[in-house]
Amino acid sequence: MDYDLNEEQELLKKAAKGFLSKECKPLFVREMEEDPQGITPELWQKMAELGWMGLIFPEEYGGIGGSYLDLMVLLVEMGYSCLPGPFFSTVILGGMTLMEAGNEEKKQELLAGIAEGKIFVTLALTEATAGYSPERIAVKAEKDADNFVINGTKLFVPDAHLANYIICVARTKEGGNKEDGITLFLVDAKSQGVVITPLKTFAGDKLNEVVFNNVKVPERNILGELDKGWSIMKKVIQKAAIAKCAEMVGGGQRALELTIEQVTEREQFGVKVGSFQAIQHHCANILTYLETSRLMTHQAAWRISEGLPCEKEIAMTKAWVTDSCRSLLALAHQAVGGTGFMEEHDLQLYFRRTKAAGVYFGDADFHREALADVMGL
Amino acid sequence: MDFEFTKEEKALQEEVRKFIKKESTPEMLKETEEMGDIYGAPEGRKIIQKMAAKGWLTPTWPKEYGGLGLSDVASYMIREEMGYHGLPFGFIAAHMAGPTILRFGSDDMKKKWLPRIASGELEFALGYTEPQAGSDLSALNLRAEDKGDYFLLNGNKLFNTSCHIADCHWLACRTDFTVAKHKGVSMMIVDLNSPGITISPMVTMAGWQTNEVVYEDVHVPKDRLVGEKNKGFYYLMAALDFERMFPLGRYRRVFDEVVEYTKETILDGKPLSKDPLIRQKLAQLSTEIEVTRLLYYQLAHILDKGGIPNYQSSMEKTFATECAQRIVNVGMDILGLYGQLKEDSKWSQLKGKVEKFYRTSIVETIYAGTSEIQRNIIAQRGLGLPR
Ligand SMILES: Cc1cc2nc3c(=O)[nH]c(=O)nc-3n(C[C@H](O)[C@H](O)[C@H](O)COP(=O)(O)OP(=O)(O)OC[C@H]3O[C@@H](n4cnc5c(N)ncnc54)[C@H](O)[C@@H]3O)c2cc1C
Ligand SMILES: Cc1cc2nc3c(=O)[nH]c(=O)nc-3n(C[C@H](O)[C@H](O)[C@H](O)COP(=O)(O)OP(=O)(O)OC[C@H]3O[C@@H](n4cnc5c(N)ncnc54)[C@H](O)[C@@H]3O)c2cc1C
Repeated sequence: MDYDLNEEQELLKKAAKGFLSKECKPLFVREMEEDPQGITPELWQKMAELGWMGLIFPEEYGGIGGSYLDLMVLLVEMGYSCLPGPFFSTVILGGMTLMEAGNEEKKQELLAGIAEGKIFVTLALTEATAGYSPERIAVKAEKDADNFVINGTKLFVPDAHLANYIICVARTKEGGNKEDGITLFLVDAKSQGVVITPLKTFAGDKLNEVVFNNVKVPERNILGELDKGWSIMKKVIQKAAIAKCAEMVGGGQRALELTIEQVTEREQFGVKVGSFQAIQHHCANILTYLETSRLMTHQAAWRISEGLPCEKEIAMTKAWVTDSCRSLLALAHQAVGGTGFMEEHDLQLYFRRTKAAGVYFGDADFHREALADVMGL
Repeated sequence: MDFEFTKEEKALQEEVRKFIKKESTPEMLKETEEMGDIYGAPEGRKIIQKMAAKGWLTPTWPKEYGGLGLSDVASYMIREEMGYHGLPFGFIAAHMAGPTILRFGSDDMKKKWLPRIASGELEFALGYTEPQAGSDLSALNLRAEDKGDYFLLNGNKLFNTSCHIADCHWLACRTDFTVAKHKGVSMMIVDLNSPGITISPMVTMAGWQTNEVVYEDVHVPKDRLVGEKNKGFYYLMAALDFERMFPLGRYRRVFDEVVEYTKETILDGKPLSKDPLIRQKLAQLSTEIEVTRLLYYQLAHILDKGGIPNYQSSMEKTFATECAQRIVNVGMDILGLYGQLKEDSKWSQLKGKVEKFYRTSIVETIYAGTSEIQRNIIAQRGLGLPR
């Protein structure tokens, strides 16, 4: 057993922390919440030059060939700094789906572009019935000569406003087993009939409604096999869920630091508030939520990296981290008191993002239900 | 990073399981439950001494003292298996006093005590708490007067659990009343058969026994002093770090049995396990059990790296014991009205195990330092908050 990051991962962590502390200050985070793009081209290019976008792609596709665990190290730091922008959508949702399902040609064409920071890809998965089970996929794609024609509305699509390509998860067959009959289409975002409308969100990230009006997609743009897309989506959802856990852990770490700073400086009743036992117990609980979330996330990411069975660990981890980090943030606010409630204080940034990450790719109840299945209940 | 056992550790786990299965008797299982999982009663001694002969009681110890020189991960794994399979797993000599002697004892003391501890021949009882010294151990007052070639002991201990079945007392006493409280404490190993010791039972609501112990003019030879005189508080703190390591095995077993029960019990035409609320509760507990597993083996990992877990022990102890309480609470809820029935009722489910552990679980967050004390430690040692 070995609970530690390896040397390279420690280096990556240090480098990412240093870079983000300079390039992604809290003021910038606030500006990007208001900015319609949500990221500056300069920052995006700098990240590309560091190799972040290609971290987990194999070398033959212009990547670095890192492991999922390496990516997690990066995501923790991104969560720590509240990094805005389409890293998650392009690299994890777009990139990972392409890695799993793209043919050689598509991978050659797109992954290198993503790694260079030139191409944005996103995933249009959820709909008005909001959820991550195959029953919830209703947007239709029907065959018409050499094309498929997509109709329907996708909701909560991240960064579609930047995307060159949107991977649309659509139903190509009705009836029977709901997992059967789902197909992934690589849609050029400029295609006629694609209408993208931004949604205002409480975490300040860029989610969109994407309406498909008779959007024609050539058959060769199917990723993976016709009707068999769900098995791929399942994997992508699981990995994305763990990626969100890594972000929450990073955010939780920062929230803990902000709390400790405040309670060791602030005096009331003539003493530091951090000397009150009620506050100490809040802080002990915060540390416990954080360390257990980190351990669970490391384990799940490690199992993914090693190609070990991990369905159970992923479900447990997303359920645990979602609940724990929410509780952690609530306790942090309690300990910090009134100032933490103010817009100027950074704690509120993490409070909002943590809740958003919690509902993304399955909330705690969803993952407990998945776990109950694995347990044979 | 690696969260799995090595091949050798997995093989050892299999071997331990096979051994336990072969050697367990109904009498031993019953006795262990009645004792509250502590070691020292006759049936337990039979099986544990056989285990000890294989080196499994103290696998991390050097070979010269009866160990195998194995990793702490292996040792933690064995304890977890013992708990899960209903063997005694509360060892004071092997798991708390022994490691402290190993670290702080003289060569003579090591040679004299460690092999006998490793063989399971000797069990100790923890002698810390006194009527006025519970959470605040530095308030202990059992007086030990230096009489030249022996100490003369007088005073009272409370809740000293293993005394009625153990051989020796791992005793904290006061050797100097003139200095700051924690600077006048010494640790001694006292033969529990010494003249002047009276042990009276205190029966717990879990049915098993702890004890009040009175010392009246008890003579303790000088060579029974652990380490240096008046340094005992530090040894005691170290021993407490070894104690705050809670294998969840016993409760994990209860959980597994409750899960099976929900699969097999049909209500309104379908298994209980299909009830959405029950599914959520069981999935939540199973997640918490996994969290505990990670915290537990993290302690072993820290030890294997040459470190000493401190606030991490408190975190594991608190999390695990609170998890144990949630397991049996959910178990009671699932059994509903049946949960109240004791083992010998014809209608009792799961041999009354859930209600039994429901009663026991209450003390888990109290002994070895209450959850409040553990959280103080996490905040002060783990986060550097002011004392
Ligand atoms: C949105 C908002 C509106 C407000 N409106 C008003 C208003 O209209 N008028 C007005 O006068 N005030 C107002 N307040 C101020 C409010 O009453 C204080 O924020 C509150 O009393 C807490 O004080 P504090 O924020 O300074 O936290 P602190 O006193 O610094 O407390 C920080 C932490 O330490 C804990 N703590 C402090 N002392 C102890 C102790 N002795 N024992 C244990 N724990 C302790 C607290 O519980 C808290 O968890 C408002 C605050 C907010 C956020
Ligand atoms: C069944 C059983 C078996 C035991 N076995 C042994 C044994 O074998 N050997 C042995 O030496 N002892 C043993 N103990 C004693 C055990 O370690 C003590 O009961 C425990 O440390 C708590 O002390 P107390 O009961 O005196 O409670 P108290 O110390 O009086 O505590 C009462 C309450 O006050 C809280 N409290 C106290 N101090 C603080 C503080 N600083 N901050 C916040 N809250 C605080 C506590 O958390 C608790 O909630 C056993 C106890 C029981 C019940």
